[in-house]
Amino acid sequence: MAGPIAQRMPKQRPAPPARTAIAESAFMRRLLIGIALVFITLVLMLPLILVFSVAFSKGLKVYLDSFREPDALAAIRLTLITALIAVPVNTFFGICAAWAIAKFNFRGKNVLITLIDMPFAVSPVIAGLIFMILFGSRGFLGPWLLEHNIQLVFATPGIVIATLFVTFPFVARELIPLMQAQGNEEELSAIVLGANGWQIFRRVTLPNIKWGLLYGVILCNARAMGEFGAVSVVSGHIRGLTNTMPLHVEILYNEYNFAAAFAVASLLAFLALVTLIVKSVIEWKSGKDMIVNPES
Amino acid sequence: MKIEARNISKTFGAFEALKNVQITVPSGKLVALLGPSGSGKTSLLRIIAGLDHPDEGQIMLDGVDATERTARERRVGFVFQHYALFRHMSVFDNVAFGLEVKPRRDRPSRSEIEQKVFELLKLIQLDWLADRRPNQLSGGQRQRVALARALAVEPTVLLLDEPFGSLDAKVRKELRRWLRRLHDEIHITSVFVTHDVEEALEVADEIVVLNEGKVEQTGSPDEVYEHPANSFVYHFLGSVNLFHTRVHDGKVQIGDVSLQVRTDRPDAVIYSRPHDIEISRERKDSGWFQASILRIHAIGPLVRVELEKTEDRQIVEAELTREQYTHQRLIVGEEVFIRPRQMKVYPA
Repeated sequence: MAGPIAQRMPKQRPAPPARTAIAESAFMRRLLIGIALVFITLVLMLPLILVFSVAFSKGLKVYLDSFREPDALAAIRLTLITALIAVPVNTFFGICAAWAIAKFNFRGKNVLITLIDMPFAVSPVIAGLIFMILFGSRGFLGPWLLEHNIQLVFATPGIVIATLFVTFPFVARELIPLMQAQGNEEELSAIVLGANGWQIFRRVTLPNIKWGLLYGVILCNARAMGEFGAVSVVSGHIRGLTNTMPLHVEILYNEYNFAAAFAVASLLAFLALVTLIVKSVIEWKSGKDMIVNPES
Repeated sequence: MKIEARNISKTFGAFEALKNVQITVPSGKLVALLGPSGSGKTSLLRIIAGLDHPDEGQIMLDGVDATERTARERRVGFVFQHYALFRHMSVFDNVAFGLEVKPRRDRPSRSEIEQKVFELLKLIQLDWLADRRPNQLSGGQRQRVALARALAVEPTVLLLDEPFGSLDAKVRKELRRWLRRLHDEIHITSVFVTHDVEEALEVADEIVVLNEGKVEQTGSPDEVYEHPANSFVYHFLGSVNLFHTRVHDGKVQIGDVSLQVRTDRPDAVIYSRPHDIEISRERKDSGWFQASILRIHAIGPLVRVELEKTEDRQIVEAELTREQYTHQRLIVGEEVFIRPRQMKVYPA
């Protein structure tokens, strides 16, 4: 589930096949590259192509009609609302957490770092169950919420909370190593030069972390829109009300409505592709920003 | 502006970085905090700047207690060891930063800022690099940009942490002469931290020698070099030869020279620099030690001769001018006599 971050591969320049000590023989190189290619084709490319081909199997009209259906529209709307709340909130908290961890020393810092990773460590289903136990009608806070007429689970707020939980680590995890590597000398310089806290953040810290931040934000967004497990538990699957896009796909599929299911799925797949493209552009851009330092 | 550090103490965990340190930096002077690593010199500089808070003691700026003032309120210029330039800003924007973050009522107009920045860039002779990013500059250029950035806000005090520490030897020499000239032009009270003795002796008006969180000596370069207050300062300021000797009636006798020493112990150590060691083929009086020549390094204008004292097999290093060396024609393995021409005596 922690895929997108774990997947980041070290950036490599297309170096000439130099005769270095670690170079493999030509045969080994081709074999390894071949295995990787076959694996990627089978596990990644083929499913993606399949999604689009099934989606269009009954023609363009059926494909487009799948989105005009009210339940589908409601699912898209709910997904967008969830992402629109979860991403900014987690961006804010992610920056706060990374700032605190990277720039200050305090007791319990390591505990905090571990806690930030927790949503990656637990299965999203468990996350969903936690919120059911907390806010469900038979949960700890359930009766109190019922008294005050607040509906959290089986409603949009529950879905947003579950998404917030699951997507919390993305921004913070992206920023912590970056900010730690950058240290705080630039911020100290800014203080001595008379800048206040907000000026330091906006003019010094933010420009230094902007690419990492954007990277974290798009990964967070991709996950917020694609989250299934936790949301599935708290949603209650009420059609047209509490179904997000991934849940809607599942329902259509279970009703053997394959073309429609894959049509909505293709939208999610398209989102994933856009995310990957934006991510590559960011990596390229941030790489260009860091021209090799002549001194070090 | 006069800076005074009064009875400053600072600990980091169990480590005592500064122990009751007292220094005064006269207005308009360039003062070096000199000491080995871990001597507390950078800690002291950061406390003066307000980047760290002392556990005890006060920082007085122009006679006013500034201990509780934040770094932002102290209006000091600080140049970090690794420059800490804003990496995403051009050289121009780096230098302009301090002016641009001023509150609206104090902030100069755009054109005034531009004029001021270019004035400073001319001063550091880098106006042609205004559009470059810090990572496109050499180390020496970055150092000067950091200095210009610090000077832009017209600080009352300039503090530099190992200003030439990460530069190569040649640039270092050029830049420290340049700093000295700059200081002679603008007369801003300045403190710089260094572990490089030569640098401190060449650049500073006054030197504060620190060791293990304490001030060992304060004085002009000449005073500190010629009259080291104790054996640490003597050791730290250059290579040294030691001669162990005995104390009689509070005096130490080397040949016809007798030196006073304040100690209750029966032993004392005589310190002498290599260039103060005289070599001769004949023993003239009692002040001479017998020694044999182990090695001769005759590269450059000075010739280094390594000798072993016959009496206690101690190694002594001597420095001769090339003229002396060619005149004497010393040979490796030869038995000679040596004598410290200039010396200091400290209790053992």
